[in-house]
Amino acid sequence: MSDRGLDWYLKQAANKPINRRGFLAMAGLTGGAAALAAACGPGGAGIGTSLWIYNWSDYIADANITEFKKRFGITDFRYDTYANNEELIAKLQAGASGYDIAAPTAEYTPGMVDDGFLEKLDLTKLPNVTKYIDEKFKGLWWDPTNEYQVPKDFGTTGIMYRGKLLDTPPASWQDFYDLTTGSESGKVVMVDSMGDVFVFPLKMLGKSLNSNEPADLEAAREILLDVAPHILALDSDLYQDKLASEEASMVLGWTGPLLGLQGEAATADAAYVVPSEGSLFWMDTWVMLKDAPHKEAAYKWLDFIQEPAIQAAETEFNYYATCNTEAKKLVPQEILDNPAVFPPDDVFAKLEGAEDTSGNNQRLEIWEEFKSKIGG
Amino acid sequence: MTAVAAEPGRFASGGRGRSALLTSLLVLPTALWYGLLLVAPLAIIFVFSFGVRARNGGYAPAFVLDNYADLFNRPEPYINSLIMAGAGTIGCLLIGLPLAYFLATRAGKRKNLLILLLVIPFWTSFLIRTYAWLLIFNSDSGLDGILSELLGTRVKINGTPFAVFIGIVYGYLPLMVFPLYVTLERLDRTLVEASKDLGAGRWATFRQITLPMALPGLVTGSILVFIPMMGEYVIPAILGYGTYYMAGSALVSSFLEARNWPAGSARAVFLIVVMMVTIAFYLWFVNRGRKVRETSVL
Repeated sequence: MSDRGLDWYLKQAANKPINRRGFLAMAGLTGGAAALAAACGPGGAGIGTSLWIYNWSDYIADANITEFKKRFGITDFRYDTYANNEELIAKLQAGASGYDIAAPTAEYTPGMVDDGFLEKLDLTKLPNVTKYIDEKFKGLWWDPTNEYQVPKDFGTTGIMYRGKLLDTPPASWQDFYDLTTGSESGKVVMVDSMGDVFVFPLKMLGKSLNSNEPADLEAAREILLDVAPHILALDSDLYQDKLASEEASMVLGWTGPLLGLQGEAATADAAYVVPSEGSLFWMDTWVMLKDAPHKEAAYKWLDFIQEPAIQAAETEFNYYATCNTEAKKLVPQEILDNPAVFPPDDVFAKLEGAEDTSGNNQRLEIWEEFKSKIGG
Repeated sequence: MTAVAAEPGRFASGGRGRSALLTSLLVLPTALWYGLLLVAPLAIIFVFSFGVRARNGGYAPAFVLDNYADLFNRPEPYINSLIMAGAGTIGCLLIGLPLAYFLATRAGKRKNLLILLLVIPFWTSFLIRTYAWLLIFNSDSGLDGILSELLGTRVKINGTPFAVFIGIVYGYLPLMVFPLYVTLERLDRTLVEASKDLGAGRWATFRQITLPMALPGLVTGSILVFIPMMGEYVIPAILGYGTYYMAGSALVSSFLEARNWPAGSARAVFLIVVMMVTIAFYLWFVNRGRKVRETSVL
């Protein structure tokens, strides 16, 4: 599903980390982070000296990597990156990837378990996971027994908008529809991601965002074709720029760029809302790969990253909500209070986890028809 | 395109075994490169295009033609790509031909400097150069803004097919200029002088001497720019705001949204077929035109 964020690379210095995903980023700007194998520390306690992680770019706090290496005597810490789930899965399908740890989006884990790519976790080696992961993130449909993944962090799909450009800000998908076909025609951006865009018509109709019912999808199609001529851009990478320049007033997108926009005086009126009908929540998960060459070190990593202080540093680094109850207590209040990062309970109650609907042909046909009608 | 014909005799003939061996050794890296990195991937794509989507996405072996049958349900991306690549090629030609002609015949001492200036942008990432156009067409301070002020109506270039057109012409222009420049530089000036001596005007000289002589460069340049334009993905995404749906974007839909490699492979194969047919037609057209001109000159 969602692919986020080339712009991040261009603005890395200016903004806090925004987007962990980006299709365009594959065009050569990605760089594996800490390949620096700093020589430090004593030998680990029988866990070897290597850990190889395959992950979205810039998705682990540097300080935590340094701490892990120091504490466990890991000298060969490898961090390679992928730009979308498909790239990760393709690598696994091609045979032994050589990595220990990866971080797929949750809805892809059942397929990966099914294909035999994931190691079943020995939870006795992960006391922090058992102790600290919030019960509401356990036993979800993608891993009913919590044996194949550990929640990493989560976020939502919603509407980001410039408050001063709108008389009445959108509160629901219905508002979004009315504004898009009305006063904001030509000023609305949607992320170029099928799964996220379908949330809007399906939730507006009061259906499940994972619905594969032909009648539901047909009704969703009509809504999408209604709004298509009024859309300014399909853009997952640069929508924050379009909001900043006021070329766009509303974006169906992700929370990532919000804090960057709010931090600038000129765009401090940027806001984000999860529409009242409900929306999607996505979760990224830590998994251990079946053929992991350094399993003991991988267990140490999975447990280490859920230590409350370490996990809180992760949230502070990437501004995605943690699923760890103890860590949440250590996260700075301003981040905790930001509803775009940590949705309040009543909003969370209406969120729906995404399923892997990529195999549905009707969805794809509607999506392509929509794409060819964008902009009128 | 232009195949370099092996010079007969020098190495191969005469039964000199060592030379033959040397030739094979020298050709080996190229053959391996070509085989492993070009032919093999194409073969894989071709095989995949008859498969089916695996349960969890990707590829599962099969032999079905569904992926090809599905192509015709949604031909827009191909039509859009053909229109855009055709327009882009003509745009490159209209700008590239005078430029190459100037460089080859009129630039004089400044020639090397001008060629250097043409190459310098290539030292910067393609992506960055494409982003620069976003600023050039910025609706406040860029060309859009200036034009809007002057004309009194809102001019919008970013996010339109026109922006995509500008982007691809800019991006691929050097691929057109260099082959043209090389052929025009080798042009025998005495022919042009003879033509003038015989009373032909500038236009007649250009049409009957320069253009036919430049034809190989023109054909090479056109094909070199047309092919990448057909598969272009980044420029329509950045400058076109994703609103002009081209074949490259359709491939991304198949592979990354539907996670259906066989359908994507069939689309890729079909894109290659569309390009080959277009180029074959183009070559036929050019050659036919040349024959007509040659007889008319005589």
